[in-house]
Amino acid sequence: MKHHTLSIKAACLICFLIILSACTTTEIDQFRQSDTEIHEGESIVILGRRQSNAYETELDFVECVGNVVASGSDGINVIPESTFLDAMFPFFEPRTAPMRTDHLAQLMAQDIAVEKLEEFGIEYIVWLDGQTQRSGESGSISCAVGPGGGGCFGFGTWTDDSNFEAEIWDMDTLTSAGAISADANGQSYLPALILPIPLLARVESNVCSGMGKQLKSFLNGSV
Amino acid sequence: MIGSTHNLKQLFGRFRISALLILCSTLISCSSLSTITIEGSYPSPLISPLPLTLGIIYNDTFSTYSFTELDEYSGEDQYIINSGSSQVALFNTILPAVFSEVIYLNSADEAADYPDLDMVFEPTIEEFQIGLPQKTRLDVYEIWVKYNMRLSAPDGNSIADWVMTAYGKSPQSNFGSVDAGVNEAAVEAFRDLAATFSLGFTSIPEVNAWLQINNVL
Repeated sequence: MKHHTLSIKAACLICFLIILSACTTTEIDQFRQSDTEIHEGESIVILGRRQSNAYETELDFVECVGNVVASGSDGINVIPESTFLDAMFPFFEPRTAPMRTDHLAQLMAQDIAVEKLEEFGIEYIVWLDGQTQRSGESGSISCAVGPGGGGCFGFGTWTDDSNFEAEIWDMDTLTSAGAISADANGQSYLPALILPIPLLARVESNVCSGMGKQLKSFLNGSV
Repeated sequence: MIGSTHNLKQLFGRFRISALLILCSTLISCSSLSTITIEGSYPSPLISPLPLTLGIIYNDTFSTYSFTELDEYSGEDQYIINSGSSQVALFNTILPAVFSEVIYLNSADEAADYPDLDMVFEPTIEEFQIGLPQKTRLDVYEIWVKYNMRLSAPDGNSIADWVMTAYGKSPQSNFGSVDAGVNEAAVEAFRDLAATFSLGFTSIPEVNAWLQINNVL
């Protein structure tokens, strides 16, 4: 009986250690160049950078950050990325999008583009750039199914590393208002004893949440 | 005893049939040919149209364009990508935004029937390439297209003849099937062409010179 109790305690300790180590470490940094504020009726748009051949900022991540920025009593009106890209076509496509604030002057020289930006009430454009990379994958899991049932056995682990940067462009002054960077990493585990038990580090969702909250505070001028 | 031998033979027979079925299905799946018809919608460019009447010719090769990707091991057709109708839809969206009026022509000979025509445009596809993750070892589907654009006066004299390329990619993780991934990469490539064409048309040296001579710019 005493031996059985010890085994349960050991199992609980192992689970606790695994859960602890499956946590994510997130670091958010902010660099402000000018004051920012958003008034009623004004909007922002969050766009993903997709000019690189090696990677592209995921649509889902851009949408996730937008949802965080738009949520709550201090939420900001965020124009959906696809709506903005289609309406402003062809000015924000991967090959034609302004890469630096100096290029904004060329865009703003086109009356038709300015009218559309004013129609949306765009006060700030936020460029998101980054990706999540998986590394250190190890372990193996085998699954089998037989007449009497099935099950899996084994252990897998991997590391997710997210690096994202948000650059905020002020559309009144056509200059950069600042930047926010977010780095996070976390180790995930997948032990399988009959059933696989995923202990996943929520790296990208933590970065999305952290980046979104910081961006909202930045644009509201509260940090 | 005879009964158990009969059962064993029956069991073995069933096993052979099952093995044959599995082998056949594996062979069929290995040599399967997939046809992908590109479908997408394209936004109209937000630009001021040039005050010109353009005649457009989509020749049969262009409007029914199809590319066949071969299997690198067997050399057999692996994917047939039909993009002609989508390319026509793309140009039907771009051109009315770039030019104040567009007239669709079946051939260059029809240009004489339209005295208001300023120029005749005929796009052709010179090369089409596809990058599949299983071949490139990248996490994206890629489409690259090389176009030849021909612009001529209604009398047939050449105004400009230039090459344009289009590139589109789509992350493998976003799509559950090759068809969907290839379709998205192709739509991105066509959007890329539409963007560069609509913003860069007047900057093509020969076109720019013609526009200036005819007091359009």
